[in-house]
Amino acid sequence: MKRAIPVLALSVAGLVPVWIYSPGAAHEGEINEAAAAPPAQTQQQTTAPRTTAPQTTGSAPKATGAAPKTTQQQTTQQQAQNRTVPGPAVNTSEGTVQVQVTLQGTKIVDVKALRAPNSNPTRMALPLLRESALKAQSADIDTVSGATATSEGYKQSLQAAIDGAQ
Amino acid sequence: MRRVEHIMGLPISVDLRDGDAALAERAFDWLREADARFSPFKPDSEVSRLDRGELTRDELTPDLVEVLSLCDWYEQSTGGAFTARVPGRGLDPCAVVKGWAVQRAADVLREGGATSFCVNAGGDVVTAGEPEPGKPWRVGVRHPDLADQLSVVLGVRDGAVATSALYERGQHILDGRTGQPVTGILSVTVFSDDLAIADTTATAAFALGRDGIEWAAEQEDCEIFIVDEDRRVYSSPGLPVHIC
Repeated sequence: MKRAIPVLALSVAGLVPVWIYSPGAAHEGEINEAAAAPPAQTQQQTTAPRTTAPQTTGSAPKATGAAPKTTQQQTTQQQAQNRTVPGPAVNTSEGTVQVQVTLQGTKIVDVKALRAPNSNPTRMALPLLRESALKAQSADIDTVSGATATSEGYKQSLQAAIDGAQ
Repeated sequence: MRRVEHIMGLPISVDLRDGDAALAERAFDWLREADARFSPFKPDSEVSRLDRGELTRDELTPDLVEVLSLCDWYEQSTGGAFTARVPGRGLDPCAVVKGWAVQRAADVLREGGATSFCVNAGGDVVTAGEPEPGKPWRVGVRHPDLADQLSVVLGVRDGAVATSALYERGQHILDGRTGQPVTGILSVTVFSDDLAIADTTATAAFALGRDGIEWAAEQEDCEIFIVDEDRRVYSSPGLPVHIC
């Protein structure tokens, strides 16, 4: 069941064009993310109870509490063009599952659960991921993320080229 | 100004757009101090002294308590796949110390008045502000197979990006639960507000192997980009992908 939600979400997403708008009411005791968050929000603040990572505030002042601006700007831009489509409610052995897909044109930009059984395995599976094929690209960049653990590795790395270029 | 120093066994680049060399030097000084205090390879470090039983938990500095509590949290969360205490070896909190110390080096720059900079420590990145007005820092994520290619570019202002991957021959990361090398994943990239969180989340997800994909996706305030052995990419909807 753990993997069933993303798989279900993706297969449901494939059917988006033929869906007819028919929102279903959430049942008590189930997670209803649409009620808790604006539907067009593409941020990933979705799951019900999650463990909280420890904050590393310590004695040094926290650098910034603000969310990254990039994400906020993208969200605002996307809100103008996005439309959300709720999928059909599907009965599974764990309970009823219903997902909502956010589209930008014909591109899926977000999938979230409208309804999911409030049992452990499915609750944990809710942060939905997009899946795609790995592509290679070269582009103008300011820095590279990716381990250059050894000095030899660094010498040959893109980051060394960037450091040396300036 | 831009400088590269090798500290903690890492090439550390500081690209400071609105500060002077003295400020960069303060950040490097802090990193050298962190290395001296928390390296398990230096016999007189606080970590080595704790490991030899010369210090009790009550005698530790608040900094080391913070590092160890992060180690403990991630060890519990991953069921022991991530661990600072590999059986048969001494205490080794390096996986947490690196991101934690580099984040604090970035804090030193901010406290010194810098508003636009990029710190890259062995491929783990903290950025602030914008390199040019209206533009984010463009952080390329290395392609797992092709050293001179990227798999994605992120646009980041105030944030942190860490990647855990095996590119170089002979490297390995052990699953703390089995002691065996991890398989299933080629590269884990995590974007977060704080490099201590981003870096440790990336390392811990990698140690979990395939299970690390879902585990990382569940982590609060983290956006992920993971490449598995089949060259499939799993990414969070909130990842700040930069369209070039």
